[in-house]
Amino acid sequence: MLTIGKVAARAQVSADSIRFYEREGLLSPAQKSESGYRLYTDEAIRRLNFIKHAQQCGFSLAEIRELLELKGHDRACCNDVYRVAVEKKLQLEAKIKALKTMSQALNRLIEVCSRDTKPLDECPILAALESSIARETIRSRGAAKRRPEAHS
Amino acid sequence: MTVKIEAFYTPGCSKCAQAKETLKSIVEKLGDERITWRDVNVLEEIDYAVELGVLSPPAIAIDGALVFHALPSAEKFTRELLKRLEQSVRDDAQNPARKK
Repeated sequence: MLTIGKVAARAQVSADSIRFYEREGLLSPAQKSESGYRLYTDEAIRRLNFIKHAQQCGFSLAEIRELLELKGHDRACCNDVYRVAVEKKLQLEAKIKALKTMSQALNRLIEVCSRDTKPLDECPILAALESSIARETIRSRGAAKRRPEAHS
Repeated sequence: MTVKIEAFYTPGCSKCAQAKETLKSIVEKLGDERITWRDVNVLEEIDYAVELGVLSPPAIAIDGALVFHALPSAEKFTRELLKRLEQSVRDDAQNPARKK
């Protein structure tokens, strides 16, 4: 049996992380000593490695819990895990797409800047952000005004 | 105008395959040549799937827009198809030039 400190050292995580995973239902000690210390088997180290790798692939704790449940489910099969992985990939690709759009918006702002030492009042990036905020406000107010008309 | 159905699926998903066949048979029963069906493997066309907002296959897009985030019931799917076909007839009548 391993103490929480030993498990933490072998899995290269902190003892606090292990307690956190326990609160999140991802890991539990095999037993507790008479004095109430958590005791683990090697299975805990395998489980912690699984959690770490899944986090590196972008899985949230809730999704990792789902994967661990699948892992322990007799009737689950490879396809169930495959489905979760495909869904995660789609989510990541959607995030990448959104980030690219943001990056392109920044490109447009960077392009208008001449990088000289003008005062901030004349900063084209801040001005562009203000005008786009203003445009958004006008657009949303306009949409709010149009909405009741659409129903009449 | 044709009604273009795209069924996004994950290969190996037996539930997807079964439900997809049910929906496909509805299209066949309607026997309408104005309906086209395309199976889309999300892994082969991930950019397209992401563009349409597919996050959890199976999902159904109609005329290039995601309509069902999950496979719909046979009734719901039939209702949507009939609605689209009626709309298509109206549009063709209004503008014969767009008829393909």
